[in-house]
Amino acid sequence: MTHPRAHARLIKDRLLLPLAGVLLVLAAWEATVVAYQLPAIVLPSPWAVLRALGELVRTSAFWHDVGVSLYEFAVGYAFGTVLGIACGLVMGESRAFRQAATPVVESLRFVVPFAWIPLTILWFGTSVVGKIVLVAYAVFFVMIVSTARAIAQVDPTLTRVARMLGMTPARRAIAVHLRAAAPTIASAARAAAAIGWIAVVAAEYVGASAGLGLMITNAATSLATPVVIAGMVVIGLVGAGVSALIGILARKRLEAP
Amino acid sequence: MDPKPEAAGNRRRSPHAQAWLLGAAGVAIALAAWTLLAYLLAGGGGVINRLPTPLRVARDLLRYASADLARDVLSSLRVFLLGWLGGVVCATLAGLLLGRVRLLANVFLPVVEAIRPVSSIAWVPLSIVWFGFGLTGKVFLVGLAVFLVVIVYALDGARRIPPDLVRTASMLGMNARQRFASLVLPGTLAEVLIGSRVALMAGWGTVIVAELVAADSGLGAHLIGVEQSYDVPAVMATMACFALTGFAMNALFTLAERRLMPWRSDDTLAAP
Repeated sequence: MTHPRAHARLIKDRLLLPLAGVLLVLAAWEATVVAYQLPAIVLPSPWAVLRALGELVRTSAFWHDVGVSLYEFAVGYAFGTVLGIACGLVMGESRAFRQAATPVVESLRFVVPFAWIPLTILWFGTSVVGKIVLVAYAVFFVMIVSTARAIAQVDPTLTRVARMLGMTPARRAIAVHLRAAAPTIASAARAAAAIGWIAVVAAEYVGASAGLGLMITNAATSLATPVVIAGMVVIGLVGAGVSALIGILARKRLEAP
Repeated sequence: MDPKPEAAGNRRRSPHAQAWLLGAAGVAIALAAWTLLAYLLAGGGGVINRLPTPLRVARDLLRYASADLARDVLSSLRVFLLGWLGGVVCATLAGLLLGRVRLLANVFLPVVEAIRPVSSIAWVPLSIVWFGFGLTGKVFLVGLAVFLVVIVYALDGARRIPPDLVRTASMLGMNARQRFASLVLPGTLAEVLIGSRVALMAGWGTVIVAELVAADSGLGAHLIGVEQSYDVPAVMATMACFALTGFAMNALFTLAERRLMPWRSDDTLAAP
């Protein structure tokens, strides 16, 4: 990187070419709209989407929808991760519990969260509770499986050392195993965030009284395609932001002594 | 409750039989808890006052199986297979192009990375605007979901061809086309195969959402139908159908993968 030629090349590869790619795609998009005279209902131009986004951001209803979706996600995610890590820890520590729970966990894992959407609507209506339960369910199964696997992969030497030092099994599980498995669990927590966020959006499509998923389906029914695409951009941005935030938080917690 | 993994070997009962016994006990306990909960909630109010017993759900499942189940499953599977195949083929081609041509990768990889966080689920309303409620829109959504998963594996496979092998191949006098056919392509396809299995569940989940939102045929349409008539046992029976179909697909593919790539250890073939 010290070499000026290498530096110039890095700028070209990391900055100029990606920028060219984005511009190329936007230009192709705009050209398609202009060349085929597409109406905004079918495919709005990038500018129309940007304008729709700008108008959305200025309304309070939009921020209410974002807030509701984020609230559902945050509460469900918190419940799901805490319960999932706790159960996964017990599964990793106790052989008997692991063997007893595996068939149940594995078969429930095939009932993907999306299949639960109609049932949560029957049980909880279109309220936020149903979405919270759904997110917790989705996150729980990601966390329990990856925590149990991470605990099982902890170096046995650590277990032996801990036992030699006279730690009780409970202390060994929390102070040694959980700590050693933390990096794997942290990356699972990040993957679970993406899955949980999508579960919220999907649940709001089918039945909700507020939220981003409802906003975007309403826009689709009224054929406001620029708003639909702007909503997709927001869903993507929030999802990426949430994942990045959880990744940063997990790394910070892990680096702290 | 013995947490000593190294002492587990010298038990008297065979470990296999014990695992089966405990597993069966776990399932029995779960079913018993479910039944108990159903009876407890049947009388009183509370939020979940519509929980049927497992027996009731099983009966509904049998009734559905003797009626429209086969038609609905086939309809959903058709959507899934078309989308999955399309997604895998597109992702393989894109992965080869972006993985082997540096300039294309530098230009288009950021675009792919920008689209990836927008999950295929977020495309559902747009796909309805574009394609309506028919087959095309659902196939598009499933294909997109599968593409977004498999492209990562295809790229990885195309890029990670060991340079030593490439040098050896050119030293042996292979030309570019031979190198591609006997080195790059097999290496990429092996990774694509893994990605295709991971994408099974992503694609199947997308089928569910697409059919729930654009409910005109398939298992998802049936699920919405019984939901709207407040038939909780039938809802749970349909959920079981989704799970069983997903499980069967996964098992089948794992079997095929083991046949196609016997050199991969069982470890990497374990659940995704």
